[in-house]
Amino acid sequence: MAVALLDSVVDELTAICGPDHVFTGRSATFNRARVPAPFPVHKWDEHVPSAVVLPTSAHQVSEVVKMANRHRIPVVPRAGATGLTDGAVPLRHGIVVDVKLMNQILDLDHENRTVTVGPGINMLKLNEELRKHGYIYPDNPASYPCSLVGGRIGTSGWSLIGARYGHTRDLVISFEIVLPTGEIVRVGDGGGRTVRKSSSGYQLKHLFMGHQGTLGIVTEATLELVPRPEAEFSAFFAYGDYMDAWRATGDLARSGVATLAGVVLFDEWKLAYLRRDDEAYIPQPESIKGVIACASYGNADEVRIGAKRLLRIGNASGGVYLGDEISQGDWASRHDRYATPQHGRTRDGQVALMSWHCEDASIPYSELPAVREEWHAIAAKLRERFDMFDDWGMFAYTNGAFKPWGDYLTEIDIGIWETRWDEETWAAWVDAKRELARVSIEHGGSISACHGSCREGEVDLVPAELGGGFEVMKTIKRGLDPNNIMNPGKYLLDQAYEEA
Amino acid sequence: MADRAASEDLTEVQSNGNGAAREFVEEWRDVAYNCFSSGHKFCREVCPVMQVTRDERHTPTAFHANVVAMEKGHLSIEDVAEDYVHCTMCGACELRCPNTLFTGDFYRFRQRTVDVVKAARALAVKEGIHQKDWKRWAELTDRWGNEPVLGWTKETSGSKVRAWAAGLDIPTGGETVLFADCEAAFKRPSVPRAVALILREAGVEFGLMDQQWCCGGPMWETGYVEIAHKMAEHNMLDWRKTGTRRVICLDPHDYITIIENYPSLDASFDEFEIVLAVDEIAEQIRDGKLRLTTPVERTVTYHDPCRLNKRMGVWQSPREILRAIPGLTFVDVDHVTQWSYCSGAGSNLGVAKPELTAEISRRRVAKVRELDGVDTLVSACPWSERPLTEQGEAQGIEVYDIFELVAEAAGFEV
Ligand SMILES: Cc1cc2nc3c(=O)[nH]c(=O)nc-3n(C[C@H](O)[C@H](O)[C@H](O)COP(=O)(O)OP(=O)(O)OC[C@H]3O[C@@H](n4cnc5c(N)ncnc54)[C@H](O)[C@@H]3O)c2cc1C
Repeated sequence: MAVALLDSVVDELTAICGPDHVFTGRSATFNRARVPAPFPVHKWDEHVPSAVVLPTSAHQVSEVVKMANRHRIPVVPRAGATGLTDGAVPLRHGIVVDVKLMNQILDLDHENRTVTVGPGINMLKLNEELRKHGYIYPDNPASYPCSLVGGRIGTSGWSLIGARYGHTRDLVISFEIVLPTGEIVRVGDGGGRTVRKSSSGYQLKHLFMGHQGTLGIVTEATLELVPRPEAEFSAFFAYGDYMDAWRATGDLARSGVATLAGVVLFDEWKLAYLRRDDEAYIPQPESIKGVIACASYGNADEVRIGAKRLLRIGNASGGVYLGDEISQGDWASRHDRYATPQHGRTRDGQVALMSWHCEDASIPYSELPAVREEWHAIAAKLRERFDMFDDWGMFAYTNGAFKPWGDYLTEIDIGIWETRWDEETWAAWVDAKRELARVSIEHGGSISACHGSCREGEVDLVPAELGGGFEVMKTIKRGLDPNNIMNPGKYLLDQAYEEA
Repeated sequence: MADRAASEDLTEVQSNGNGAAREFVEEWRDVAYNCFSSGHKFCREVCPVMQVTRDERHTPTAFHANVVAMEKGHLSIEDVAEDYVHCTMCGACELRCPNTLFTGDFYRFRQRTVDVVKAARALAVKEGIHQKDWKRWAELTDRWGNEPVLGWTKETSGSKVRAWAAGLDIPTGGETVLFADCEAAFKRPSVPRAVALILREAGVEFGLMDQQWCCGGPMWETGYVEIAHKMAEHNMLDWRKTGTRRVICLDPHDYITIIENYPSLDASFDEFEIVLAVDEIAEQIRDGKLRLTTPVERTVTYHDPCRLNKRMGVWQSPREILRAIPGLTFVDVDHVTQWSYCSGAGSNLGVAKPELTAEISRRRVAKVRELDGVDTLVSACPWSERPLTEQGEAQGIEVYDIFELVAEAAGFEV
């Protein structure tokens, strides 16, 4: 049920943001209650904010936050609303601060190679502008066409080409953030807006990334510019055995090729899923049990030489090169390959429109085969009990920036027939998520490589994963957000206040 | 804050209670779930409206989620009718949808968002929820048989729809007729004149309808379905009366309306062949029947009209035509990049929200200014040319219809 704000509060918001940028209506609030699935459709109204504001300046954001403190009203930052851990879903109603109108390019510094932007800008749109100057901003998640810089910082995201260019944390140099009490501060590596490395003071940039909007609202960010690569090379290899493919993945990741941007390992469940997509791997026979994709970027001469080495490793490891068309075409469509509802299947093979859920742990290389087996078993149990879940297979992506060999973003995709949700199936789902997270931790991994870990189920294990670090998190939260107004209910951080 | 306060007890709102709303939900729920379950939101940044308003209520995602919310009793058409005004029906969202991209080729599947918006607008009208200027537009169209022209000053009655052809001696009816769009006929008569002159030059025999009425497109698009049917039935009757089999459309809006909507109203629609003027004229040039010899000294770029490019995949013919014009320097921007471009005029957005259309057009023309040396923007859609011309004047870019340039190259003055 929606909770109304006092008229006087709405008037204050209107005075701060202007009448055209404050909404309390049903469609404005219902359409800012959810992010991609799974979403408890049957409990939609529990997540509806009371008001939405679309601020246009840091000052406005700051005033909204100060006001929220005065009235003890929750504030939820929202950027592209593509986050997969419900970060932008209001758990306690309150005010959604939607930053989409803050999407300007504010400064392009050619000498120091930075671009400064508002948090509401999308990377694809940013690159349309940067390209004219010969640059790119290489934060390239699969959500490249839809996520926004504010959300990238809020989640501390992972990029498909991060092995070469780094991930969000390596690419955001500094940013301005409105703290939970309304002060506007700039954090980075030290003080200078364009400084990449400093030893001055605490390293606050990391602290204010990936907090899922619980520690403030980013209002401006200074980002890295890299030369637009002259060349791209991508290669797909097929294997008859998953373990061979896994070994080859390690060989490629450890190759030391400087232009290598990423290696992706597809398991046989993923291949089976992709065979439902007429344009993907249909020509690949069932005997293929693993596929690897690798890609590299950079200057043409360097990419060419690196490519030879990568091809040599692929062939030497027993891989069959799948040809230029698949290698180039499937890599080019990497942003779209995630979920197509029509590819959902019930146990008896009927098409059912299913939503996509993606679990995204960080797993050490050595543990990938074991985690894979345990995760598929969890998915199989779920599917056996309820014919509304479907195992869409697994990917493992190189996870480290610049040194991509240690751990892997390990993803299992699960299709969910969402119109079937009820209390029982939702509870079973939450249990399964908790199980998936437990496996990750038991194998020395982390619950999430990029999405964050505050969805129902997984979040219960965050204290177990972080140990004493979780205590530090609570201390920081209480110190910076004395009234618990910034995105309350996330990450079990309410505990910080219970103990106080 | 036009929207209703969220303070009411939601459990009491049962929007799916009444008949029309229930039918709407039943018809569109699967389509809506296709988007709701996909949840990628890749459509947002290509949407011309979203690029301006950045308001999640105006996303294709919301247009589908609303249907799901209506099914669950959370929202009613009153809550969302105004949101659905924010769409030009350009079709970019459908193309950029991963559902279309990855099931499209084999299953011929395309995520249907334009149709959902149309249906929601029709439901609104049925429920008595009107946008003031759309209602007025519909009433005048009904009264005059043709659409009004923005500014509302001109009477666009059927008796005047052939005024543009004065002095050209075009017969009535015959095997082939030229269907001159209302906006072109009344607002930019140089376009139908140009088309008529070049068709004649190429040796195409054609007439004009006895009584051409509006194609009905904007009525379908804004929810006034009954008026749309009346227009369509009249036009088909007129074609039959004068023995017409072939209809050449110079405006993409007319073309798409006729091929998408008329067949369901008439079991023998197949006896008509509906042709796009850009395709017809490209063919005449290709076959050497239309010779373009007068140089047109301009540096132009081409605006892909949304209904041609994004809705029907027609982007080659206009480029072929432009490349055949002597003297012309053509700086092309590819048709995929143009998925995110729009004039903002489509689906009568310019009638209900003129400021939004103006801003979309302003941004479109600003893109032209980024191209080195380009002085002219060429479109192939009279609807787009109104706001683009206004913005072009402000930014020093001339806006032409493609047929105006072809006529010039063929030695005519229009
Ligand atoms: C198809 C698809 C593919 C994806 N692929 C990837 C991938 O490859 N890599 C990856 O990392 N992620 C991926 N994601 C997940 C998602 O896109 C990322 O988590 C992304 O960073 C979220 O950005 P957003 O703009 O949508 O943020 P939102 O969902 O709006 O917000 C995410 C979190 O950040 C907070 N937040 C938003 N704005 C601000 C701000 N201005 N200041 C502070 N906090 C803020 C929110 O409160 C929320 O907690 C994918 C998602 C989809 C749907």
